[in-house]
Amino acid sequence: MNHGSTNVLLIEDNPGDADLVRLRLVESNPLVNVSCANRLSDGITSLKEHAPSLVLLDLNLPDSQGAETFRRILEAAPDVPIVILSGQDDQALAIKALHQGVQDYLLKNGLTSSDLDRTMRYAVERQALLRSLEMSRKQQLEFKNQFLSHVSHELRTPLTCIHQYVTILLDGLAGEMKPEQRDHLTTILKSVNQLGAMVRDLLEAARAESGKITLELQCVAIEEIMRQAVTMMQPTASQKGIGLEVGAETSLPFVHGDPDRILEVLINLIDNAIKFTPAEGAVTVQACRVPTDPNFICISVADTGSGIAPEARALIFERLYQDPNAVDNNRKGLGLGLFITKELISLHGGRIWVASDGASGSTFSFTLPLYSLPKLLFSVVVHEGRLRSAIVLLRVDLRRRSKATTRSWKEICRRTRERLERCVYLDKDLVLPLVNMGGSEQSLFVVASTDMERSVIMIARIREQLNKLEELTANGDFEISAAPIPLPEASPEPSLAQQVEAVAERVTNLTQAAVGGKNSSNVESNSERTMP
Amino acid sequence: MKNAKILIVDDDPDLRQALRLRLRANHYETINACDGYSAIAQAYKERPNLIILDIGLPAGNGFVVLDRLQKDDKLSTIPVIILTARDPQSTEKLALRAGAAAFFQKPADNAELLGVIKATLAQAESQTGLPS
Repeated sequence: MNHGSTNVLLIEDNPGDADLVRLRLVESNPLVNVSCANRLSDGITSLKEHAPSLVLLDLNLPDSQGAETFRRILEAAPDVPIVILSGQDDQALAIKALHQGVQDYLLKNGLTSSDLDRTMRYAVERQALLRSLEMSRKQQLEFKNQFLSHVSHELRTPLTCIHQYVTILLDGLAGEMKPEQRDHLTTILKSVNQLGAMVRDLLEAARAESGKITLELQCVAIEEIMRQAVTMMQPTASQKGIGLEVGAETSLPFVHGDPDRILEVLINLIDNAIKFTPAEGAVTVQACRVPTDPNFICISVADTGSGIAPEARALIFERLYQDPNAVDNNRKGLGLGLFITKELISLHGGRIWVASDGASGSTFSFTLPLYSLPKLLFSVVVHEGRLRSAIVLLRVDLRRRSKATTRSWKEICRRTRERLERCVYLDKDLVLPLVNMGGSEQSLFVVASTDMERSVIMIARIREQLNKLEELTANGDFEISAAPIPLPEASPEPSLAQQVEAVAERVTNLTQAAVGGKNSSNVESNSERTMP
Repeated sequence: MKNAKILIVDDDPDLRQALRLRLRANHYETINACDGYSAIAQAYKERPNLIILDIGLPAGNGFVVLDRLQKDDKLSTIPVIILTARDPQSTEKLALRAGAAAFFQKPADNAELLGVIKATLAQAESQTGLPS
């Protein structure tokens, strides 16, 4: 390199090769400062200490080989340019390395100092260029989101004014309306509501794109959300003369998801289905287990509408796509609905697709992960590759005094759970998700990695915190108790996963026994569940 | 029973007027404030039974008003319903944590808003009778 001193980190285990490369480096730039590491782990340590301006990397090291070597170094130093010096002319590996972010792939054989020098200089330049591109892309995205958020906020104020006065007129608060005037106002109101939905979608799409949507994951009874969505959309469907119903299916397992977001997804799909289905048609919402994928449930919204042309099927989940053949042009949106829907589902870890034969309608299907207690428990009850020595189940029972509204009571339960999460250590305790909220009694559970003796301290901490939660103490009472979770025998050596499953089963039994007899809520594992 | 008195705080005069019409039609008495400062002053002077509060306000935004109300022994029992154009994802939790009884994004559904006003007033009334 030509300019001033440059720090190069050379990771190479063969002393002969290392000396040769060092020689080539000094030949082209006497001021170069080379530090050497002969193992990948030493190289990674050295990265942090010396902050080199470039890494020269051999792929076959005592502690790492091939693609794994550059993968690990890229992970440790994503911003430092990396040039591979290899003994093997492996084109496929070289291409793979470049795709993952390595700057160049050179062969040790016949390496001249000027080639090496040039390669290194270009690598540094390219890396800097990439970084600044990435920065400006992030800035632009941030600006776009701020802009959209600002615009949607500002649009809402006049929108609210129109909405308010139209409803004042429609409700007869400013005198009686003639039927014709009323019709016109109803049209205005419909458009105002549409505009409101567009403003909401605009913000939501921007958020989805920048990864700012957060899910509040719970243990969700999916059939309840399906029924809720169908009830909410029933007026829209019957207005158009379309039948809307939940298909028969019993014994559905719980889903791990955000109930508000799942409802949003369903409403969006049902709304679309109604939009593209002519009068007398039908829309059916159904859920079933996926035989090929036991960890997911599949939910579908089927219509008897116009269907979707094959060429459009790949496009409909893209932003701003609008079907040119919409039956009801009056109800066009921004073309963001399915994009947002897709984003919400992938945030849950599921996927969405559409099947359509073009004549007898379309079926949108999506998958959602099942609620799995063992999965949630694993990171909490396993420590250093073994099951913890003692685990306790804490139980907080909330009882609503009659005054609170259902809406505020649900919110109180949610906030109590949030407060509980602040009372525990997230790496060793787990606050179980809320289930089927709505009753006047709600039990919350914490799986805590502690013994009965020490759980007293935790209970005191929780009691203190909950007493400070005014909305809870004003509207209800709470009670805290603890029970040890019997641990499975370590012999005859079941696998760790099996042990965790056994713990999960015991937690399930304990929580079920705790809430059994009440019809309010229960947490159970999905393996063998039958709906009452 | 005397009609409940509701303080409407919003910087948009047209919206204040619309809310006044709507609330009066539902037999509530209303008073107004157009900024954060006069909201506190009005709350102090008039002792409303409930406050409908915007967040984007001149002279002390909705959060400042909420905070002042909460810190004042005489005003902290007045329930506050937030009615704002702001995004619920970023503001709803903050507002509820700051002590608001409910949160609505503009434009709010009239029936739902009126329902929550009614429930909140009933709840506040039942609590003032209880020792706290």
